[in-house]
Amino acid sequence: MSRSATAGTPRSGGRPWTFYVLLAVFILYVIGLYAPMISIYILSFQDVRGGLVFPMKGLSLHWFVDLFTQVRTGDVKGSFDRSIRLAVLVTVLTVVISFLAGMAFRRRYFGDTAVFYLMIGSLVVPGLVLGLGIGLTFNFLGMRPSWYTSALGAQLSCTLPFGVLIMFAVMSRFNTAWEEASRDLGASPLQTVWLVILPILLPGLVAVALFGFTLSYDEFARTLQTAGTLNTLPLEIWSMTLNVTSPALYALGTVTTIVSFVTIGLALGSIVMIQRRRAQRIKNEA
Amino acid sequence: MTMQTTSSGRGAIELAGVVKSYDGGETTAVDGINLKIPDGAYCCVLGPSGCGKSTILRMIAGHEDPTHGEILIGGENVVGLPPVKRRTAMMFQSYALFPHLNVRDNIAYALRVRGMSRSERYRRAEEMMATVQLGEFAERLPGQLSGGQQQRVALARAAITEPRVLLLDEPLSALDEHLRIQMRTELATMQKNLGITFVHVTHTQMEAIALADLVVVMERGKIKQAGPAREVYIAPRDRYVAEFMGGQNVLRGKVRTINGVRATMVGRGEEPIEVAFDGRHRLEKDETIEIAVRRDDIELLRPEKGKVPAGKAAVSSRIVGIEYQGNFVKVMLDATDDVAFIAFVPERRFFQDPMKVGEVVYAAWDVEHAHLMIEP
Amino acid sequence: MVKRSDLFGWLAVSPLLLVLIPFFVVPFLVILAASFMESDGFGGMIQTFTLDNYIGVFRSRLTFDLYYETAKFAVITWAFATVIGFWVSYFLVFHVKNQLLAIGLFLLCTVPFWTSNIIRMISWIPLLGKEGLINQGLMGAGIIDQPLAFLLFSNFAVIVAYVHQLTIFMIVPIFNSLSKIDKSLIEAALDAGSSRFDILRYIVLPMAKSGIALGSIFVLSIVMGDFFVVKVMSGGGSASVVGALYEDVGVLQYPSAAASAVILTLIVVAVVFSILRVVDIRREIAR
Repeated sequence: MSRSATAGTPRSGGRPWTFYVLLAVFILYVIGLYAPMISIYILSFQDVRGGLVFPMKGLSLHWFVDLFTQVRTGDVKGSFDRSIRLAVLVTVLTVVISFLAGMAFRRRYFGDTAVFYLMIGSLVVPGLVLGLGIGLTFNFLGMRPSWYTSALGAQLSCTLPFGVLIMFAVMSRFNTAWEEASRDLGASPLQTVWLVILPILLPGLVAVALFGFTLSYDEFARTLQTAGTLNTLPLEIWSMTLNVTSPALYALGTVTTIVSFVTIGLALGSIVMIQRRRAQRIKNEA
Repeated sequence: MTMQTTSSGRGAIELAGVVKSYDGGETTAVDGINLKIPDGAYCCVLGPSGCGKSTILRMIAGHEDPTHGEILIGGENVVGLPPVKRRTAMMFQSYALFPHLNVRDNIAYALRVRGMSRSERYRRAEEMMATVQLGEFAERLPGQLSGGQQQRVALARAAITEPRVLLLDEPLSALDEHLRIQMRTELATMQKNLGITFVHVTHTQMEAIALADLVVVMERGKIKQAGPAREVYIAPRDRYVAEFMGGQNVLRGKVRTINGVRATMVGRGEEPIEVAFDGRHRLEKDETIEIAVRRDDIELLRPEKGKVPAGKAAVSSRIVGIEYQGNFVKVMLDATDDVAFIAFVPERRFFQDPMKVGEVVYAAWDVEHAHLMIEP
Repeated sequence: MVKRSDLFGWLAVSPLLLVLIPFFVVPFLVILAASFMESDGFGGMIQTFTLDNYIGVFRSRLTFDLYYETAKFAVITWAFATVIGFWVSYFLVFHVKNQLLAIGLFLLCTVPFWTSNIIRMISWIPLLGKEGLINQGLMGAGIIDQPLAFLLFSNFAVIVAYVHQLTIFMIVPIFNSLSKIDKSLIEAALDAGSSRFDILRYIVLPMAKSGIALGSIFVLSIVMGDFFVVKVMSGGGSASVVGALYEDVGVLQYPSAAASAVILTLIVVAVVFSILRVVDIRREIAR
């Protein structure tokens, strides 16, 4: 705890006993949150003798090599590839569509409440039910489900409501006078979007992108019935949990977590960079 | 002056029967406004919040369309035209500077959207920054500027479009007291230099009096009075204007006698108060009238020193409070029921013979100086 | 006459509808239609109108057991997530005085949300397993001499996995609504002699209500719609509504799967909308 986390009560000097109780709750929560994940990352670096539990047996990259070379662990490389591509596709569509919908929801329009509830419905409907519905629909229409059609739509049905809800929070901090000022100075609507609205909302849009990417990359329930014959990575992991009992499973966990962390890092990093760059100009001047 | 506009577009504004209502007529923000603002005038629209003054400004700017009526700028009906076509520019409340653009890019924005080359627009922006003394802040972002500097950026950003009308929405409300007075002077100077029409919306009467050639007082979507600042200040049409403009005491009474251009009315205390009136008024006996008496026209007399002199009217009342103000002393009296009746006594005169709270005095004024209001 | 604001609204929201209609509305209508059809036993459907699927679902004793089981998991998970979520948020907002540190710790709680749920679930194996760390530790300390079997592949493990995954859905909205409390209000209340309990009851809890409601929507709808946590963590010992539905799909019994999908969806929607009646989330998020 930092020194600045001082008195619990503004009046007395010492911390109340509740502080220590809640501190303990918080620390236990964080341990519970991270300990299991960290233990599988550690166990994934065992050598060929390794098992699913501690103690650690040796230290090597054996299971990572195994993961990408052994046939018995399935098509990890292919599904990994598909998952990334799908996630990028979902991210781009989520950012664009959420941005437009966010713009629409700033003012009231006829039927906006209906659209809003439709969105909430799409968010809370059980994923497998939706996947089943999409699968049956494709079936009725005589179309083959695939990751870039039915699975893409299934994932968007959950990332878009999330994205629009984030846009609500982002837009609430957007002053409409900026838009009017731009119009007043002679900008066309498109110029206003490009030169004023987008740059100001950029950090919020990065947040939407982060949600879009990670929700898609880790999506399971909605994808299960809609991915068609080729698996995405979570589906691959799912089938591995049912038949692989080696640390290769943990190695896969480590790899996908690295991808997630790189994404989080990129997203948070670019938000920080946008804000830095804005502040940087003053430093340059000085 | 480099900022002098080429005045092909003249900035006279005329509002004719302008109405703005929302929700299909359920709420009316502006209720039938007729107003002429001459080219090159500094006009202040004054009123409490929600009186419709900002809506008028936004309709002149083209950010809202009137429900009924016409808006003419330079003799041409501009309803339906976008702001650029009107050649108006608006300075927004709290300025609405683009937070992601530095001072130079904020000022050059209007030129940028017109497709002007970077070097040309920066050259023009530099010129503009020099005139508003912002040259050294070119690289700063709005968040790094003081309130006064932000206002200058906002002015420069609007002025670079060479508008014929500049519309200012509460331009000084975001500043602290001290800065407000300083920036007020800057606004006046800027308006003279630019030589264009300024329409300035405010709820502070001091601002309006200090700046405006034309003051427009509004209440609930209607114009209560429009005229030169001095006229509105010394001859308010009614109690609302008098109280809003300040500096006045309003007395209400019933006409008792009429004699040529003089009448007497009786107010609360049953004492007769002499009232002067001219040909514009036709008074009748028992009619309720209201007069406005300026606070600085009131003289306080001690009753024991004899009668009220001829040509003066007076009410007797008790002093309920005294505040020293520096160059004058504010004396509060109980001559009226609802609001305090106030006299501003010159500092030297007050202390020649200081009065005390609780004393009963005559508050007297020249009959000719009291203003009989048109609408009681 | 079409108003300009309406036109813009519909234009801007149309891409969203272009996704939601074919991938949410139509599929649901298809499920609804399928639930009234008959199975031909080979994965096909005979287009008739029958209520047999619904009758079958309601007649089955299993249905009620499944719903009871799922509801039990939902309520227990919700209770843990709410209690932990509330106190963690309360700690971050009111006890960590350094704003930057509070945001840093908050981010620390949210990072795992962006990683794979399945991985986070299986990551309990090395801890809770028969030879896992907890059993090893307890036996090493001499507290027990037989490994505790209920830790993994049990209802206990299911709850642990749910709470692990879903508490974040409580922390974010509660943290958000508690952050909006004016701290000087609390100081004023303390100065006026209120006890900490009074403040909790009359200031903090009412403010947290909207956050709890929003979090509850996520937690309840996710648990009710889940099957793979139950399947993996219970080791096959417990079942869930969606799990049973998934098995129907596995044996190509689409109409009966569709009927139970419709019933489940209606229940989830009813739960969510009854929460929405308490809190206007649209205003809450935008505030």
